[in-house]
Amino acid sequence: MDAKRPAAVEVSNLAKHYGPVVALKNVDLTIEAGEYFVLLGPSGGGKTTLLRTIGGFHKPTAGKVILHGQDVSGLPPDKRPTSMVFQSYALFPHMTVAQNVGYGLTLTRQPREEIRLRTEAMLDMVGLTGYGERRPHELSGGQQQRVQLARSLVLDRDILLLDEPLAALDAKLRKDMCLELKHLQEKVGITFVHVTHNQEEAMTIADRIALIADGELVEEGTARDIYEAPQKRFTADFVGENNLLSGKAASVTEDGVDVDLGSGTIRVDRRGLQVAQGDDVWVSIRSELLQLGAGEGGRSLPATYRETVYLGLTTSHLVSLGNGVELSVRVVSSADAAPVAPGTAVEVSWAPGAARLHVS
Amino acid sequence: MQDDYGSIWAYRLKWAYLMLIVTALMSPVFYVMYISFNEFGFGANRYVFTLEWYGVIFSDKLMMNALGWTLSLAVGTTLIAVPMAILAAKFYKATRYKVATVFLLLSPLFVASDIMGSALLVYFKHLNNGFEGLSDMLGNQWFYGWFELGFLTALIGLIIYTLPYSFIVILITMGRYRPQQTEAARACGATGWRAFWDIEFPQIRAGVFSACAFTVILCFNEYTRTSLLKGGFDTFTTVLVSQMLNEGMSEQSYAMSSFVSFIAIAVIGGIILYTLVRSDALSREARAKAEPVMAQ
Repeated sequence: MDAKRPAAVEVSNLAKHYGPVVALKNVDLTIEAGEYFVLLGPSGGGKTTLLRTIGGFHKPTAGKVILHGQDVSGLPPDKRPTSMVFQSYALFPHMTVAQNVGYGLTLTRQPREEIRLRTEAMLDMVGLTGYGERRPHELSGGQQQRVQLARSLVLDRDILLLDEPLAALDAKLRKDMCLELKHLQEKVGITFVHVTHNQEEAMTIADRIALIADGELVEEGTARDIYEAPQKRFTADFVGENNLLSGKAASVTEDGVDVDLGSGTIRVDRRGLQVAQGDDVWVSIRSELLQLGAGEGGRSLPATYRETVYLGLTTSHLVSLGNGVELSVRVVSSADAAPVAPGTAVEVSWAPGAARLHVS
Repeated sequence: MQDDYGSIWAYRLKWAYLMLIVTALMSPVFYVMYISFNEFGFGANRYVFTLEWYGVIFSDKLMMNALGWTLSLAVGTTLIAVPMAILAAKFYKATRYKVATVFLLLSPLFVASDIMGSALLVYFKHLNNGFEGLSDMLGNQWFYGWFELGFLTALIGLIIYTLPYSFIVILITMGRYRPQQTEAARACGATGWRAFWDIEFPQIRAGVFSACAFTVILCFNEYTRTSLLKGGFDTFTTVLVSQMLNEGMSEQSYAMSSFVSFIAIAVIGGIILYTLVRSDALSREARAKAEPVMAQ
């Protein structure tokens, strides 16, 4: 990254309150220019509020929004170097597709021919050549979303904000559009800030992901970091299919912690975390890293087999520990072993490093 | 008929009922129109068709003066009440206190027109006295006559009367409008005003025009407030009513009443016809465009 180039988006100590309701709590975030950045989190967590505050649709209660080094906290949306794609399409129904796409250009009093050429080029880019004379209601959901993209991208703004742009599409179309969005961003090279609650969508497109929940920035990192090495308990719980176990630190050494889960004691890496004997801790193990069968001491637990859930590509085996906590063991269906009868005593085990310790 | 299992007779009965209601409501108007074309006027034994009375209505100075006043009031009321209603409807859409807003805006409708008219009359008289007192205190006559009964006071009375109706009509069309479209326009670089004018207004235009037509008709229809607040019986309805009470309706009065009714029906009918034709044209256009692009 160019050290002299200011970040595309810098959010500093940003807070947004609606009366007694706190939607954002002192969020600090930096998004580099040209990044595809995803704000991921559960519904009502504050990610859309954050996006809309960056876009100028909400005025922050406290803190600053800096875009390309300029403080824009007090500016309305039309004065910011951003454009936005909305979940609900928000196309102008009384205008044709071409008029929708060219609307922003007409506001800047560009020559008519210039508007026509740029509109056509942008429709071509989003794969809607020949649709210019149609009305929005004559298009499918996916096509309408492409029109929104074209309408935003034609403005040549540096930052594109996308508020759950794929949420209204069916699963297949969403998957296709995910990749298209990613390729489009690579093509135009501007900063995309994308809000979603769908982790698969986030994993597919993001250069970096920030997890937002309860108005706070929980954790940020690359998709791989967030999925494979979550730092916080919430991240482990929200991203992927993790088994989250709560317990107490029974003994602590420089390298590892023995965690008493109530149904057995397991050994996990300490990862440099501040933890003392007797502290409440959590352990997460991704379901695909668990296996049915005996393992080494400290990396296995006795359990009772409950049921099998066939999911197509994968199959989940549900087992319960002695204290009633349920675990999911996920395997690729084609490699799945012979079925186990419910009620059978089994052992679940995992490889070294698969279990992660969390203290918060 | 939408319901495949519904009785055709029940369907016809509903239409017959509707026609009966419309006929009952409109019969007196049609009767006045019928009389207006009779050379011998109301109550005559003979009926000879003529357009004569329509020819002479414009020579009735009293009536033309009254029509002029009412038209001025109608235009003034429309120009003020309709924009106010648009603002009120926008406020309603934005506020969390919707019930309170609706109650406040519709409250003038809950007060009988006689009471509202006389309350405004007393209010304006006191206001006028207050302003004149203020002028006396200041030693000048700047504030004299501001709220003497006349055009301004009648205008205010009519605005209070028509605003709730305009508000409701506009709110209905605004109900379909999604505020995200305004946000999308702002994100494209439009100011608040441009977003309203380019995006929102075209979508609520039918409601705004209907509110305008409705306001004009209400102004022509209104008697009590105008008679109390205008000062003098010189508006269209007040002249018609006083003529009818004092002398009985003249042939010109029938013609004038019919003339105004024709205009009102033409305006409303025109709006309905335009809406139907446009919606039909849009559906045909949509069907034509629904062909896949690849096939073109």
